[in-house]
Amino acid sequence: MAAVTTAPSTEQRLLEATLACLARHGIAKTTLDDVARKAGVARATLYRYFPGKQALLAAAVATEAARMVAAIDAAGAAAEDLEDAVVAMMRTAAHELSHQAALQFALAHEPEQVLPYLAFSGGDAFLAAASGAFAPTLARFLPAERVPRAAEWCARMVLTVLEPSEQALIADDAVVRDMVREFVIPGLVPESLRTVHSKG
Amino acid sequence: MANEATTRERILEACYACIARHGFARTTVEDVAREAGLSRATLYRAFPGGRDDLLRETVVWEMGRFFGRLAEAVAGAPDFATLVEEGLRYARAAILEHEVLQTVLVTEPEMLLPLMTVQTERPLRFVVGYLEPFLEREQRAGRLRPGVEVADAAEYTGRLLLSLIGSPGRWDLTDPSEVRLLVREQLLAPVLTPEALAAT
Repeated sequence: MAAVTTAPSTEQRLLEATLACLARHGIAKTTLDDVARKAGVARATLYRYFPGKQALLAAAVATEAARMVAAIDAAGAAAEDLEDAVVAMMRTAAHELSHQAALQFALAHEPEQVLPYLAFSGGDAFLAAASGAFAPTLARFLPAERVPRAAEWCARMVLTVLEPSEQALIADDAVVRDMVREFVIPGLVPESLRTVHSKG
Repeated sequence: MANEATTRERILEACYACIARHGFARTTVEDVAREAGLSRATLYRAFPGGRDDLLRETVVWEMGRFFGRLAEAVAGAPDFATLVEEGLRYARAAILEHEVLQTVLVTEPEMLLPLMTVQTERPLRFVVGYLEPFLEREQRAGRLRPGVEVADAAEYTGRLLLSLIGSPGRWDLTDPSEVRLLVREQLLAPVLTPEALAAT
């Protein structure tokens, strides 16, 4: 049967346009007019979907976050042992973050816009959300009671390398692999559980 | 006759007092000069970069005082793992009790956070430099995991400590038994031998 492709919905086009504008101009300088124009819709149409800039930004972030979580989870699902799974998930996380153009623009040029969502209580919220990307895969290999803390550990590693100074580092696959082996895996499980295969 | 160091210190104290009273946005060079009992010219000589320079240096100065108090509090620790446990508990409590920090995190986080992170590496360097001699001692005692370099271990531990005291996530850092678990099963597992981790 031939594949059926649906055209992106107006809402999807608006969110894609938002991310494109953010990647080019940043958060402060992106206007609703820019986004509407980029998406090829009238401003009134944009307002029907998103009552203001805050709502639009929140939706764009939520959509991208969900997409990245799904990508990380998929990478882990394909792996057959714990170490391969964590390496795959961390490499995917590193790849996704370093290629998220809007995020990179903000980190480089307007860190004050994003740091409140990555530090102190914002960091706690990030950890809670990002843990969800790792937990399902870790649950295949670890005792259930270990999973929440192990997932947060992986999320914390991601958060730690999100600083602008670290971005060059995580773009390198080999560096990520070494980092996972040296620092992430040992903190996930005691030595005895380290070479576990899937529980089934 | 006041020398440059004491003048600088006096200005930093005055700037800190102004921030504590009015916040970042409303602290001007004039306010600080008045508070310090010095001329604006004296201020600009000490801080040629002007207001931005002064605000950033004041944040770094206060972070230095914070970590100095922390170092004093953990000075008697018998080994590295205990040092880290005590440091985490003390630092987290001190952060929660830091009225100026807690206030600014609510009212002007976008002004403070870049000054603590993106614009300076000094707090991280301070913590890493502080940890190195302790790790060297562990290395001489044969308690570092094989293949682990002191410099890498110090960098890793420093980054994770700063992450944990700002954003503890699921961990209750006021609970000594949770802190012990965090440090000995997770945080320092990549750094110390199992024997070093198990010792009281």
